[in-house]
Amino acid sequence: MVFKLLNDLPEEYLFDLESEQRVLSAILHSEDAGIEAYNLLAASDFYSPRNGLLFELCSSLYLREVRPTLVEVLKEGHILGLFSNPRDIEELKYIAEHYIDDENIKYWIKKIKDKSRLRKFVEFLKASYEILTEQQGSDVEQILMAAEDKLTNLTALEIDDHVDTPAEMANLGYDEVERRFLRFKEISEMNKGLIPLDGLPTGFDNLNHVTLGYKAGELIILGAQTGHGKTAFALHTAKAIAVDSKKSVLYLNTEMSREQIALRWGSILSSIEHDRIRSGSINETELSIILNAYSRLRESGFYSYPCPNLTPEKTVSIARKFKAQKNIEMMIIDYVGRMDKFDPRLSEWQILEQIVKTQKMLAQNLKIAVMCLVQLNTDGTLQGARRMKNECDLMLKLTPIPKEDFELDEEIKKYLNPNYYLIIEKNRDGRSGVRIPVAFDLQKQIMKDAERISR
Amino acid sequence: MNFEEQSKKVYDESVSLIADLGFRQRISFEEMNFLLSLLDMVFVHKNNPEFTAALRQWIRTYSGSEIDDIIKATLLAADFNDQKSLQQCVRAVVELMEHRT
Repeated sequence: MVFKLLNDLPEEYLFDLESEQRVLSAILHSEDAGIEAYNLLAASDFYSPRNGLLFELCSSLYLREVRPTLVEVLKEGHILGLFSNPRDIEELKYIAEHYIDDENIKYWIKKIKDKSRLRKFVEFLKASYEILTEQQGSDVEQILMAAEDKLTNLTALEIDDHVDTPAEMANLGYDEVERRFLRFKEISEMNKGLIPLDGLPTGFDNLNHVTLGYKAGELIILGAQTGHGKTAFALHTAKAIAVDSKKSVLYLNTEMSREQIALRWGSILSSIEHDRIRSGSINETELSIILNAYSRLRESGFYSYPCPNLTPEKTVSIARKFKAQKNIEMMIIDYVGRMDKFDPRLSEWQILEQIVKTQKMLAQNLKIAVMCLVQLNTDGTLQGARRMKNECDLMLKLTPIPKEDFELDEEIKKYLNPNYYLIIEKNRDGRSGVRIPVAFDLQKQIMKDAERISR
Repeated sequence: MNFEEQSKKVYDESVSLIADLGFRQRISFEEMNFLLSLLDMVFVHKNNPEFTAALRQWIRTYSGSEIDDIIKATLLAADFNDQKSLQQCVRAVVELMEHRT
């Protein structure tokens, strides 16, 4: 029945020949209109194969640095045998005479693009219907995820190719500086000494100072070795954003159960040792403290999604859903090494590269910050590090402070209780190569800036 | 129809007319290509005024002589994508016209 309904759609609903002819006419008469069209359209966006072919002909001339005027197109088409009789010329002239005002080119391009996407959507519906009828025994989860992936390609992952003019860039720059100036002034007057953040709080004053917070559209990568605080860091970040600032965070965990995550929160929020909470060896006063601590979690914006079979496609669909429903401002993936593979034939670095690319695109499209936790090798290096570094905006590493640093490094001696370095390996928006001493209490699962010894 | 649209229409009509003559073999393909290229030079690129000046002068003084046939062959052989070739063509046409007088 669904199939019949799709086939019954009025044919003209799926194409717009007039728009196709108007865009082709604009390409033949205006260089600027042509450039706009080559950037935004592909031959496959045209419904009429003849129009698609003409577009392709114009594009190929343009690529050879020949302006595709009606004359050049006619000459080229004649050489290729596409135009061979007076009727072909009439047809070409008919298209060329669909004049538009060059300024309206985007309007006509959008009409073609919309129809093209609509046709792809109908194809998607038909293909999904065929899968449902032909593969009735298949895994439902797999069918839905594959469908979600295809649908996402039709919607969210279309990047806006807007190019800023010099004037737009100058206006944007001035507006940004003015906004920051006014905000800084306001905050400085309200609370002297407080750093005005540009994004979400990181949970570390020193990191806030260097990065101005995790910003929308940013991909943050945090690397640490096994058992060296990846999850503690993730939950510390979640606490700063979701509990302390009451903003919505989506936390995807590939390793831990719901109970394990919930118990960790008890420790983080109450400052009572995790082992004691886990074993239940606490007294009644501590139980009451823990109860109070959980009430803070209850009122927070922390959304947890334990998901052992996480795939990059699934992160896209879950993030989109939570952005729409809960307006999340950050997504934390703990951790990418445990994600299911795109393609089993790919090697480890290729998979990691694909994952981080997807997450970066997701961050930009949904205008959220995405944090990916990755595992460092035992020597402190990172598999596929260069590629990850290229993609991300902020790359952090959490490593134990070497023993010799406590004896030889004068700077570290100025701190009371540091045991880890938070190293800023890359910072697209500021200083990098900075080492921030932090105190990580493994028992209480708490992280904070290391205290500086006061003189 | 505004001025811009009118000029687009004149251009399209001219292209169509020249191509139609070529495809119906009323003019040769060399003549068709020459006229089409000339049209783009004048309408679209708006360059090489010395070429069109030489062409105008030749048309004004055309008498169907043997030298006129040589001038026509020289013009049809011009490569519109090569500025040097066009300049050489203009020089040759001007010289030939001088010889004729």
